[in-house]
Amino acid sequence: MSNASSTSALVVRAPRRNLLPKTLGPAMPALILLFLFFVLPVVSLLLRSVLEPEPGLSNYATLLGSETYLRIFLNTFLVSALVTVLSLLIGFPVAWTLAIMPAHWSRIVFAILLLSMWTNLLARTYAWMVLLQRTGIVNKTLMNLGLIDQPLTLVNNLVGVTIGMVYIMLPFIILPLYGVIRRIDPAILQAASLCGATRWQSLWRVLVPLAAPGMAAGALMVFVMSLGYFVTPALLGGTSNMMLAELIAQFVQSLVNWGMGSAAAFVLLVVTLALYALQLKLFGTSQMGGR
Amino acid sequence: MTAPFLQIRGIRKDYGKVTAVQDVSLEIRRGEFLTFLGPSGSGKSTTLYILAGFQDPTAGDILLEGRSLLSTPSHLRQIGMVFQRYTLFPHLTVAENIGFPLKVRRKSRAEIDAKVKQMLELVRLEGFEDRRPSEMSGGQQQRVALARALSYDPPVLLMDEPLSALDKKLREEIQHEIRRIHQETEVTILYVTHDQEEALRMSDRIAVFSKGVIDQVGTGSELYAEPATRFVAEFIGDSDFLSCAVVASNGQSADIRLGDDWLVEGVPLHARGGGRNEGALLLRPERVQLHRNQPAATGALPVRVDDLTFLGSNVHVATTTGWGEPVAIRLPFGHDAIDGLSRGDTVWLGFDPRTAHVFC
Ligand SMILES: Nc1ncnc2c1ncn2[C@@H]1O[C@H](COP(=O)(O)OP(=O)(O)OP(=O)(O)O)[C@@H](O)[C@H]1O
Ligand SMILES: [Mg+2]
Repeated sequence: MSNASSTSALVVRAPRRNLLPKTLGPAMPALILLFLFFVLPVVSLLLRSVLEPEPGLSNYATLLGSETYLRIFLNTFLVSALVTVLSLLIGFPVAWTLAIMPAHWSRIVFAILLLSMWTNLLARTYAWMVLLQRTGIVNKTLMNLGLIDQPLTLVNNLVGVTIGMVYIMLPFIILPLYGVIRRIDPAILQAASLCGATRWQSLWRVLVPLAAPGMAAGALMVFVMSLGYFVTPALLGGTSNMMLAELIAQFVQSLVNWGMGSAAAFVLLVVTLALYALQLKLFGTSQMGGR
Repeated sequence: MTAPFLQIRGIRKDYGKVTAVQDVSLEIRRGEFLTFLGPSGSGKSTTLYILAGFQDPTAGDILLEGRSLLSTPSHLRQIGMVFQRYTLFPHLTVAENIGFPLKVRRKSRAEIDAKVKQMLELVRLEGFEDRRPSEMSGGQQQRVALARALSYDPPVLLMDEPLSALDKKLREEIQHEIRRIHQETEVTILYVTHDQEEALRMSDRIAVFSKGVIDQVGTGSELYAEPATRFVAEFIGDSDFLSCAVVASNGQSADIRLGDDWLVEGVPLHARGGGRNEGALLLRPERVQLHRNQPAATGALPVRVDDLTFLGSNVHVATTTGWGEPVAIRLPFGHDAIDGLSRGDTVWLGFDPRTAHVFC
C-alpha cells in the first residue's frame, strides 16, 4: 500500500511542474483578492506596531520588557500547550475507537461531534459556565461521590479556560487523526502482533509513529487556535489571568492603543508561523516515514 | 508413535450466517511445505488466520506438538507470517523491520545486529539495511517480510498469497528463493495460493480447498493421478469431462456408457453418496491416443476434429463427440497422428479405462 501510493505520488509530482501556467494572468483576480484581504491587513498591522504612537520598536520593548505582559504570554502558552496535550490524550483513543468501530456507529458519533461544532460557540461556553460553577453539576457530583468536601473553583480561572478549550478543540484533533488512522492497514498491526509485539508495544512502536503526521497536524491546529482564542478565556477565565487575545482586545477596545495591540498580534503571528515551519520540517510534505 | 507436529482438528468458522470454513482437519509434519490450494472464498485465509490467532474458530482445535494453541494470543504463538499485502512497517528501515521481532523480545543490540545480517544474507538483500520500504520494489518488500517473519526462528511460517501482487517472472524467481530458504532453514511452511502451478512447483503436499472443506490432501502427482473428487480433477492440470451413465459398479470401479452405445468397462469409480447413475468421465488430454483409422482390436470413440492449435512443444486438438461434447487432446509436436490432419476429419480416441476416472 505504502509503496504503491508513494510511487504514484512520485509519478504525479514530476509532470505537475509542467502544469504551471506560463503567465499569472488568469490568477490575477484571485491574487488581488488575496492581497487585499490577507497581505494588506498584516502589513498594516506591522506598520501600526512600529509607527504608533511614534516610529520605533518601543511597543515591542514595552510588551516584552514588562513582567505583566510576559506573564500573559506565559499563561497563553501554558494553557495552549496543556489544551493541546489533553486534546491529544483524549482525542487519540477516541479517533482510534472511531476508526475501528462499525461504520454505522462511527457515523452516529461523528454526527454528534459535528453537531456540537455547529452549535453556537457562546451557547456552548455558557453551558460550561453552568456546569463548572460552585453549585454546578460537576462540583455536586464530586461532592456526592465524597471525593471532595469543598466545591472546587473551576470557573474564572485557567482551569475553567483549559476545560472549556479542550472541549472546543477536540473535534479539530479527532478529525485529522481519524483520517490518518483509517489509512493504516490493519494487516500491519496483525504483522506486529505475530512478530511478538504486545498491544502496548504495537501502540507505541507502530500505531503512534504511523499516526504521528496526523497528530502533528491536529496538535499544531489546536495549539495555534488556542493561542489566539478569545471567547472561552473571556467567559471562563478570571480577570487576573488574562490570555493574549484578551490583552489585544483590551489594548484596542478599552485603551484604544492600536500600536500595542498590533505589536501583540504580530508576536502571535510570528510564533504561529515559526511553529508551522517546524512542523513542515519535521513531517515534511510526505506522510508515513517517507523521505 | 509421537504426535504429529501440527494438527488442525475439525476447524469450523462461522461469520454470522456465512460459514467460511466448514470442517478442516489436517496433520502437518515438521519441516513440511504444505500448500492450501483453492478458489477464492474457499476458506484458505480463514484457516490460516485461525492458526495465526487473528480469529477464533467456532469449533475445533489446533495443536502444535500436542499442545493446543487456541488459548495463546497471537503475539505469544511464535508463528511467522508473510501477508498478501505489503505489511512492512513504513516508518522503519529494512534492518529495523527485520530486527523488530527481536527488539520487542528485548534481545541485545549485538544479537539483533547479527541476526539481521544473517537474515539479509538468507534473502539475498545485503546492502539494503538502511532503505525504507517505500524505496523498494514489491518483490524486495516481500523478501524483507520473509526475513522479518523468520528472524525469531518460528517453528511454523504462514504465507498468505505472498506473491500474488508480483508479475509472473518475479513470482517464479521468488518461488525458487522460498524453496531454497525452506530447505536451508527447515521451517515448516503453510502456504496459501490459488495458482495451481505455484502449488505444484513449491509444495511437498497440497491440500485442495473447496467451499470450506479440504477435498483432498496429497502430493501434486497423487492429486493429478488419483483425484478424489471432480473438483480436484478440474483444479489440478488439464482435464476433459464426458457425461456418462453408470451401468454397473462394484464400488471400486464401474462400467459406463458414453453417448448412446459406447460401453467402457472397469473405470475407477469415485462415488460421493447417492445412488445416482449419471456421472462424469475424466480424461487427461495426454492419456488419450488419437487414431486416424478405426482401430480393430480396442474400442475407440469416433470424434470430429474442430481445431488444431500449435503451442510450441505441444499441439492441442479440439474435437467433438458424435453427441456434441468437446474433448481436447494434447499431442507432442511432430506426432504421426497429426500429420496432414485437418478440420472436419473424423478420428478415433482410445484410452486405457484404468487410467480414467468416473465421478458420480
Ligand atoms: N470477516 C468476515 N466476515 C464475513 N465473512 C467473511 C469474513 N472473512 C471471510 N469471510 C467469508 O468467508 C469465506 C472464506 O474467506 P477466505 O478469506 O478464507 O477465502 P480464501 O480462500 O482466502 O479466498 P481468497 O483466495 O479470495 O483469498 C468467504 O466467502 C468470505 O466472504
Ligand atoms: Mg485469502
